[in-house]
Amino acid sequence: MVEELLKKTFTIFSRNFDKAGENSTEIKALLKSLNFEPDIIRRLVVVAFEAEMNVVMYADGGQMDFVITDEDIRIDIRDQGPGIPDIQQAMQEGYSTATDEMREMGFGFGMGLPNIKKNSDFLNIESRVGKGTTVSAGIRLNANA
Amino acid sequence: MHEWTHSFKIDREKCSGNLACMRSCPTQAIRVRSGKAELIPELCIDCGSCLKVCPTGAISATTRSLKEVWKFKYKVAVPSPVLFGQFPANISPVHIVEGLKAMGFDAVWIIAEEIELVNRAIRDYMQTWKGRLPLVSSSCPVVVRLIQVAYPGGVEQLIHVEPPRELAGRELKRKYSKELGIPKEEIAAIYVTSCQAKSISIIEPAEGVKSDLDGAIGIADVYNGILTAAQSHKEISNHKALSRDLLRSANLFQWDMSEGQRRNLQGYNYMSLTGLRNIIRVFDDIEKGKLRNLDFLECYACWGGCINGNLTVDNLYITRSKLQRLMAELPETDPRLEEEVARRFAGKELYAKAPIRPRSIKGDMGDLKERIKRIKEAEAVLADLPGLNCGLCGAPNCKTQAKDIAAGDAQKSDCVFYSKDRLDRLREIYLKRKD
Repeated sequence: MVEELLKKTFTIFSRNFDKAGENSTEIKALLKSLNFEPDIIRRLVVVAFEAEMNVVMYADGGQMDFVITDEDIRIDIRDQGPGIPDIQQAMQEGYSTATDEMREMGFGFGMGLPNIKKNSDFLNIESRVGKGTTVSAGIRLNANA
Repeated sequence: MHEWTHSFKIDREKCSGNLACMRSCPTQAIRVRSGKAELIPELCIDCGSCLKVCPTGAISATTRSLKEVWKFKYKVAVPSPVLFGQFPANISPVHIVEGLKAMGFDAVWIIAEEIELVNRAIRDYMQTWKGRLPLVSSSCPVVVRLIQVAYPGGVEQLIHVEPPRELAGRELKRKYSKELGIPKEEIAAIYVTSCQAKSISIIEPAEGVKSDLDGAIGIADVYNGILTAAQSHKEISNHKALSRDLLRSANLFQWDMSEGQRRNLQGYNYMSLTGLRNIIRVFDDIEKGKLRNLDFLECYACWGGCINGNLTVDNLYITRSKLQRLMAELPETDPRLEEEVARRFAGKELYAKAPIRPRSIKGDMGDLKERIKRIKEAEAVLADLPGLNCGLCGAPNCKTQAKDIAAGDAQKSDCVFYSKDRLDRLREIYLKRKD
């Protein structure tokens, strides 16, 4: 049985760019105070930030769970957004449907999902067009961590 | 656990328990539990914020006293270039060097060559680096320590080149030992520093090795001595030409100012950051992945660079304009200097002696379950605290206090909202002091 050790839920607000990333900052602080290895922290923060930004940019808001079990650390995100019609295409580096406004703010370079993939050990995306997307990504902890 | 030496001493007699130091500390390393400030050594990054705000002068920098320096047989002063921007215009660099000698130094070593060497080594390092970007300048000891304590994942991005002052210490011992026929141990290389952090980087280098310098004294400590000596030394006639020979290159003064590496690293995406709070903001953004495509971060914990260090005498803007005036009279480079630099560069001992590692922090111990339990406890405690961050419990804010409680280092009854005893105790400490 996988034991859930810690779970925190964050609300993500849509189009709120100046506050965007604060949840990731909180997750980072939490991971740091739990004394995880720097590399794990760095990777997870990227995963959390990218996942969070995707919701901020495209969805009408959503929720992010940060979960630590005795086997892994993961980020589960659910949004009420437009959905991703072609997940494979969205996984390609540089593919982006961002508006000019988003790009001007330094986002939307089509690196979100590829970055999540690069920095996680597992990634599951489920999406229904018109309904929303759930993303679950994280890092496995080895048994003696 | 390792015992840390720090750049500050808190004089308990002088300490009034005023909470300014605790509130100003960027790494929450100070507590004032019973009316006196106390340092948590492994969290302190030697930034000097506390020293600046202490109203009673209870916090002082650890530097060498001049008395200790004089014990050595041959004493060489290695002045920070900032020193030359501290004096009135009629006191030339030559006067300053003569002043140091008049105070008792046997020689004065100008780090012009070392700065060229380090510039080259940094360029080399950037070109051959295959790891994560941006690389971060490592010449400010506070920045190095900040990364060790608060951004442990970033230690490998610190540029692994020794600062010019360290190279100078090594070279001057080699040179004078050979020339004078005395052992290196009898030669003292004393850095004349603009801040206490460099002093501590000599006593306790971040890499855990031994420094090639033997200590540091503050600019403020030699200022009056130089001034006095210079007044009786006024007759130096051709001091302009002499200064040029002495200082050799305008790059000498670039080093300690913001944007100091920009020319050296042309073609790279360069960002200059000065001031600890600004650095922390940008580091946070980088950690989240918000800032990309940066190659190099120049970081100075002091706003404006080392010219604003807390052991300087003149203010940052005056110092900067004085140094710029000196720079204008200096060539960008000098053929003899280039030659020496080429010779020494081939020697390749420019890289740091050991890797810089993250610091281990107390309270991080135990297995994952224990650590999570502690975090949950801290969260539960925090929910009960008033959230006013008044500091009367002795911790800088409620969040830190909650962590301390969960770690067993504090009690809920330290909070005045929960304990009348605490209030009485504070009254006893603080109101009695008034009379």
